[in-house]
Parts: sequence; structure tokens; C-alpha cells
Amino acid sequence: MLRNVITKLSQPARSLIQQNISRGAAASLARGYSSKAHETDEEFDRRYEAYFNRPDIDGWEIRKGINDLCGHDLVPEPQIISAALRACRRVNDYALAVRVVEAMKNKCGNKEKEIYPWLLQEIRPTLDELGINTPEELGYDKPELWLEDVHDIH
Amino acid sequence: MTGHFHPYHLVDQSPWPLTAAIGAFGLTAGLVKGFHNSNFNLCFIGLFIIILTMFQWWRDVSREGTLQGLHTNAVEFGLRWGMILFILSEVLFFFSFFWAFFHSSLSPTIELGSCWPPVGVDAFNPFQVPLLNTAVLLASGVTVTWAHHSLIESNFNETSYALLLTVMLGIYFTILQVFEYYQAPFSIADSVYGSTFFVATGFHGLHVIIGTTFLLICLFRHTLNHFSSNHHFGFEAAAWYWHFVDVVWLFLFVSIYWWGSCLFSM
Repeated sequence: MLRNVITKLSQPARSLIQQNISRGAAASLARGYSSKAHETDEEFDRRYEAYFNRPDIDGWEIRKGINDLCGHDLVPEPQIISAALRACRRVNDYALAVRVVEAMKNKCGNKEKEIYPWLLQEIRPTLDELGINTPEELGYDKPELWLEDVHDIH
Repeated sequence: MTGHFHPYHLVDQSPWPLTAAIGAFGLTAGLVKGFHNSNFNLCFIGLFIIILTMFQWWRDVSREGTLQGLHTNAVEFGLRWGMILFILSEVLFFFSFFWAFFHSSLSPTIELGSCWPPVGVDAFNPFQVPLLNTAVLLASGVTVTWAHHSLIESNFNETSYALLLTVMLGIYFTILQVFEYYQAPFSIADSVYGSTFFVATGFHGLHVIIGTTFLLICLFRHTLNHFSSNHHFGFEAAAWYWHFVDVVWLFLFVSIYWWGSCLFSM
């Protein structure tokens, strides 16, 4: 997955756009997986992409899939995100598509500045094809009400 | 004595099925009237009639069994299966509420903030009062089993004591839950979270009250020496129902209180 990219990003003076993502070294990184996870990165990606590419997928299944995907400690590959966005298009759920992009931004964690712009660049063709605005374009990256906490309404 | 040469119980004429029907109609029509005209009087009348009917119908059953000797082995066999099937139907009833809960929580919608618990919902800490409730019900399962064994061993004083403890634990659970409901920072109207939480735990609480009442009736009957050491199906039915209530709580605790309180989102 992108954990290889993250490793490379920690080296300074490397421009994001010049990254050459290779997956070969991914398996050599030590991970605290349980004994059940014998799936390779490619198999993981293919599984999720196939899940979202199901033509008869419904809204419940898309949300469940995104929830499961976000439960993993990784930033999903752009092709999985694109497949999820196209699934949202098939079920006519625009809000969900924007939320998917927002969720992927959240998954970047504290490496958001490095990964998110690259991620947007990778899914830009899909965003343009489907006419999906990013949360930033819609103004959803700023608080709507200037309250820190839901309980602050007096 | 029965006048027939088979072991089954052909019941005498009784007015209670009719009054039950009248009460049920009053309850349902009363609900409609209540929702439309904000007047629940008919509903309460119907409920009252149903409660009176239950008291009198089941009093007749215990008279027929205990005092008239009409509960042969064959009859008891039928009663056992009746109770088993009833509890099975209740399991299916709760299954539907768990289905609703998992449907809503496994794929939280945009309106909730795509997370569970939803944005703005402060879920209960499962390891505070809910955990105490779990301990209370598990303990009550132990005490009711203790009561049963005492009954089988003809230790009737200990049976009363253990049954009383069970009832007190049931009441304690109810008090704790009422306290939690009062303290809850969210209501039934707070999105599907509130709906699933209060409908599932609410029906469970109702079943706790029913079970506690059933056990209390058994306690009274026992003090009147209705139960013998080898024939006490009323008590067994109450104990089965009580264990069922306990198991439902365990599922509620693990799924809604514990798993459902951990924030997960997309």
C-alpha cells in the first residue's frame, strides 16, 4: 500500500510529484498483523476495488465498505477511492462521494500535507468525470458554526 | 375424578379469553385515539382490563393444576413446549431490534456524520452502570438456580430466600436502568441511535419487569405451598424466562453498549 510511499516521504528534499511508487519493499516492513492476515497488498487492493465495482452495490454496502476500509491502518490506493466514487455515482449519492474524499483526507493522518494533494491529483480524472467537488471546494474544510464543541450552544 | 380416560386437560368454560379480547381491542383502539386526540383514557382502560384478565386467567391455571390436580404429565409436557415456543417467539422479536441496530451502526449515514456513535451523541461508558447491570443480572441467574435446586431438595425456606434475592436483584436492575434513562444525555428522538438504543433496551426493561413479576408470583405461590419438590413447572417457566432476559441483556451489553460505544467512522 502507501506505507512504502510514507517511508520515502520522510526523506526530505523529495518532491511529492516525482515519487516513484514501488510496492516491492512493502512486505519486508514489520507489521503487527494477526495470524489471519495473509493477504498481499495487491490482493487487498483488488478485493476492495472489486467490491466497489460491483454493479448492483447499494448505499448500505458502500458505507459498510468504506467503514471497513477506514478501519485499516493505511491510506487506500487511488483506484479503490475511484471505484468507491463511481459506486456513489451509481447510487446517486453525491453527499456520500464528498464524504468519501473527506474520509480519505482524514486517513492521511498527520501526513495530510504530503499525501492528500497527491491523492487528489491521482483521483482528479474521476472527480472531473463524475463532477464531484472536493470538501475544500465546497467550504467543508472550515467549521460551519464557530463552535468548538456540540455542547457549546447556549 | 376427571370423568374421562385420557390424561389431557379439556378446560372448563371461561370468560377470560373474551375479556382479553375486549381489553386488547381497548388497548389498540385506545392507542389510535391517544395518538390522534391526545387522550389515552381508552388505552389505559384496555390495559387495565388486560392486566385483570391475566391475573384471573393464570389464577385459574394454578387452581386447576395445584388444587384440582388436572396437570398430569401430559399436560405439563404441553405447558413446557408452550413456554419454549413462546420464549422462542420473544427471541425472534428481539432479533429484529438487533437487526435494526446493526443495519444502522455498520453503515452510518451522512446525516449522522458517517460515524457511530453519531456526531454529538455521548454514549454511556459501558464499564460503569451497564457493567453493574450485567453483574446484577448474572447474579440473579445464580440465585434463581439456587432457588430451583433448593426446591428440588425440598429445602423450602431456602427456596423462598433465594427467590426473594432474585426478585430484589431484578428490582435493583430496573431501578438502575430507570436512573440511567433519566441521566441519559440523548433521547429516543436523537437520530437512529436514540431509536435503536431506547427501543431495544426499553423492550428489554419491560421484559425484566415481566420476569420479575412472574418470579414474585412464584414466591407468593411458594409461600402458599403450591410447589412440590418434583412438580413446579410454574417456577421452572419463570426461571427459563428469567434466563432468557439475562441472555438478551448480555447481547445488548456487548453489541449496543460496548461495541456500539466505540467511535468508528469513515
